[in-house]
Amino acid sequence: MTTIETFDNDFENKWCPGCGNFPILLAMKQAFADQGLSPRDILLVSGIGQAGKTPHFLHCNMLHALHGRALPAATGAKIANSDLNIIVNSGDGDCYGEGGNHFLSAIRRNIDITLIVHNNMVYGLTKGQASPTTVMGMPTPIQPGGTMSSPFNPLTLALTQGAGFVARGFSGKTVQLAQLIAQAMAHKGFSMIDVLQPCVSFNRLNTLRWYKERVYDLENTDHDTTSLAMAMERSHEFEEKIPLGILFQKETPTFHDRVEHLSGPPLISHDYDRDAVAKALF
Amino acid sequence: MTTDLTLKIGGEAGQGIQTIGTLLGEVCHGAGLFTFSVDDFESRIRGGHNFNLLRISDAPLTAMGNRIDILVAIDQKTLALNRENLSDTAVCILNSSAREESTPSTLHLPVAALAKEAGNVITANTVAAGAALAIMGAPFSLLKAVLMERFSAKGDRIVDLNVTAAQMGYDAAQGIRLTKTLDWNGKKGDRTLMTGAKAAALGAIASDCRFFSFYPMSPATGIISNVVPFSKTLPLVVEQAEDEIAAVTMALGASFAGARSLTTTSGGGFCLMTEALGHAAISETPLVIINAQRPGPATGMATRTAQADLLFAIQASQDDFPRFVFAPSTPGATFELTKKAFTLGEKYQVPVILLMDQYLTTTRTTQEPFPDLAEPGTFIITQDDMDAPETYKRYQFTESGVSPRALPCMGNALVRVLGNEHDEAGHITEDPEIRVRMMDKRNAKLAAMKAEMQRPVLAHPESKTLLVCWGSPGGVVQEAGERLRDQGFDLGWMVFEELWPMDGEQIKTMIENKTLILVEQNSTAQLGKLIAQETGIKSTLSILKYDGRPFFPDYIMDKAKEIIA
Repeated sequence: MTTIETFDNDFENKWCPGCGNFPILLAMKQAFADQGLSPRDILLVSGIGQAGKTPHFLHCNMLHALHGRALPAATGAKIANSDLNIIVNSGDGDCYGEGGNHFLSAIRRNIDITLIVHNNMVYGLTKGQASPTTVMGMPTPIQPGGTMSSPFNPLTLALTQGAGFVARGFSGKTVQLAQLIAQAMAHKGFSMIDVLQPCVSFNRLNTLRWYKERVYDLENTDHDTTSLAMAMERSHEFEEKIPLGILFQKETPTFHDRVEHLSGPPLISHDYDRDAVAKALF
Repeated sequence: MTTDLTLKIGGEAGQGIQTIGTLLGEVCHGAGLFTFSVDDFESRIRGGHNFNLLRISDAPLTAMGNRIDILVAIDQKTLALNRENLSDTAVCILNSSAREESTPSTLHLPVAALAKEAGNVITANTVAAGAALAIMGAPFSLLKAVLMERFSAKGDRIVDLNVTAAQMGYDAAQGIRLTKTLDWNGKKGDRTLMTGAKAAALGAIASDCRFFSFYPMSPATGIISNVVPFSKTLPLVVEQAEDEIAAVTMALGASFAGARSLTTTSGGGFCLMTEALGHAAISETPLVIINAQRPGPATGMATRTAQADLLFAIQASQDDFPRFVFAPSTPGATFELTKKAFTLGEKYQVPVILLMDQYLTTTRTTQEPFPDLAEPGTFIITQDDMDAPETYKRYQFTESGVSPRALPCMGNALVRVLGNEHDEAGHITEDPEIRVRMMDKRNAKLAAMKAEMQRPVLAHPESKTLLVCWGSPGGVVQEAGERLRDQGFDLGWMVFEELWPMDGEQIKTMIENKTLILVEQNSTAQLGKLIAQETGIKSTLSILKYDGRPFFPDYIMDKAKEIIA
C-alpha cells in the first residue's frame, strides 16, 4: 500500500509559487499510489527546463538527461531493461523544440514508456521567451512585437505519426490528470499526455482562467477514442474550446515486440555465456 | 629470403573492384600466405576511380606495398594513373574489348566477353581474379575451393558459373608469369582475415556489449555491419538512431540501466555526441564511443582517412573531466583495446573514446587467433552488497573517486543520476563547497587511470632519433623504420596507442635527449603538441600527411631521410 506521501522527498522545491507544475507533480504521485507502485518501481527520466526538474521533487529512481534528450535516454534504458516502468517529464521547449526529432522517433518506435509534456506555452527557466507552442503574436521580452511562427500542434502531429495513446490533460484538473497518467502507464506502447498548465511568471495570456473558460471533458461527449478521424478533428480545437482526456488509443506491437531479444526477458538479465560468445566470434 | 608482392585492382565504382581483391585475398590466405589489403574509394556509388591494394607475402605484413607487381586495370584510367608505380617486372592485366596481342608483361583480357562466354556477364570479376592468380602461379584448385565456399549458398548453378568464368580467366593468362614466386602449399591454420571494423565489433561483443546504437556515417558504419550477423544468436540489440545525439544518448541510457553499450561514428557525428560525452562524465555513466576519423572540418572528405581528432577527443565537451582515449594501430590491437575500453569504462565510470580511422577500419590483414575470452567481470553492486540500501548515495565521496554503482529499479536503493552538478545523493546543487568536492572526486580517478595505461611501444630505445606516431600508422612506421635501419640509418620508433590520460613523467623518460620526428595524419602534429604539453619537450620535426590518403612506408622513408640529412 503506497500513498501520495510515499513519494514525497525533502529536496527543496524551486518552482514559483502557484506554478502549474505542482498539481502535475501531485497527479503523478496520486497515479503511482493508485497503482500500488513503490519508489523502487519507478524510473523518472527528464530533460531540461522547469518540467525537467520534476524528478527531483519525487522519491524514486531518476535519470535527469540533457535538454531535449529525455526520450532517447529513456529509450536506451527501456531497451536495456524492459522491466523498467519509465515516465518521462518534459516541457514544450524540451520535447517539441530541442527534442523534436526524438519525439517523432519515439512515436515511430512505439517504445513502451509514458511521456508527460508540461506545456505552459512559454520558456519558464530562461525567463519568458517564446516556446514552440506559444500562440502566434504573443509578445515576449525577445519578441516584443509578438512571436512570428505559428504554434506547434503536438496532438495532431502525434496522431499523424501513428501514436497509440494521445491525451490532453490540464493542471487545473488533477483528479482527471492522475487517471490519465495511470491509463497512459497501463497502455502497452508509447503514450503521451500533453498537459496544459499556466506559467504564473511569464505567460500572461494563457492563464489558469483562460484555460478554465475553454476546457471540456471528452468523456462527456460522443467522442470515440478508437476513431482517428474524430481524434484529428478534436486535436485542432484550441482557441475557442479545448478537449481534455484521451483523444485516441490503439495498441499496436511495441518496439520490444518487434525487436529480437527484447520480447523475452530483459536484455540485462542474460548471463554472459563465454562459450557461446567464443563460438560465435571465432 | 621472403617474397613480397603487391597487386592493385582499379576501376570505377560499381565494377566490383573490392570483390576481385577479396577473392584474391582469400585464395592467398587459404594457402597460408600473409596478406594486407586496403580499399580506396570515392564517395559515390557509380563511376570515378576506386582501387583495392593487396599485398601478399610469406612473412607477416604491417603495411601496404608501394611498387605494383600486378596491375588489374578494369577501366582505362587505372593504367594511366598507376604507370609510374609499376615495378620493373610488373605484369598488367588490361580489360580490353578488342583481342589485342598479349606480351609477357601485358595481358589483354576481354573480361566482359569471357564472362558472357562463361554464361553471365556478372562473373566478370571472377574472370579477372582467375587471370591474376594464374599470373601469380597459384594452382587453380585453390581458387575453385574459395569460389565453392563463397557461392555454395546460392546453389550449384552459380558455383559452376563462377568456376567456369574463373577457369576462362585462368586459361587466358597461361604463359604469362610473374618472376616472383610464392609457395602455395601452406595452410592458414587458425589464422583469419581481419579488418579493423570487424575487430572492433568482435572486441565489443567479447566485452559483453549488449547495445549498439549508431547513425550511418562513413567510415564507422562498417563496425556496426560487423555486429549485425551476431544479433541473431547472441543477446544484443542494434538500433539505428534518428541522429548521433540520439545514438549516444540511447547508449548512455542503456548503460545507466545496466547494459554495456557502444556507439560508433566519425568526426562530424562525434561533434554532435560531445554533449552526451559531458553527461556521461558528470553522471559517471560508463560509455564507449568509437570515432572512426576522416578528414574535416565539417563534412571534409567522407571516404578518406585522417588522424586529426586527437586533441578534440581529449578535450571534447565543456569543462574538465577524466576520460580514456585509445587509438589502436592494427586490427589485432583494436580487438584488445576495445575490450580494455569496456573494462576501464565500467571500472572508473568514465567515457572512453576509441580513435580509429578510415584506413584502419577497412584494412584487412592476417590475424593470429585471438586469446581465449575472459569473463568480463562486473563493476556494479546490488542490494545484497549494501548494509542499508535505503541510504544508498550514487555519488558517495570516496578516496578513489569511484562511488559504488547500483542499477535503477533493482531494489530499495534509489539510483539518481543527472547532468547538473549534484550532491552525493544526486540532488542538484550550486553549493560552492560541494561543487569543488564533486569536481575533485571525479578528478581523483586520474591517478589510478594513468596507472592503467600501457606505455607506448619503443623500438630501438638506444637510438637518438625516433619516429613518433599514434594509432593506425604504427605498422607503416614500423616497416619504414626497419627498412631505414637496414639502409644504415640509426633510428628507433615509438607507437602510442593508449593516449590519454598521459603519464607525462613516464613519457619524458622515454624521449629525453632524443630527436623526435612526429609522423601523423594531420596538419599540425597534434601528438607533438600533446607531448609538449605533458612533458615540456617540444619537437619541431614532423612528417605530416593530410591529403586524405594513408601513409606508405616509402613516403615516410623519403621524408625521414630528408630530415635526417
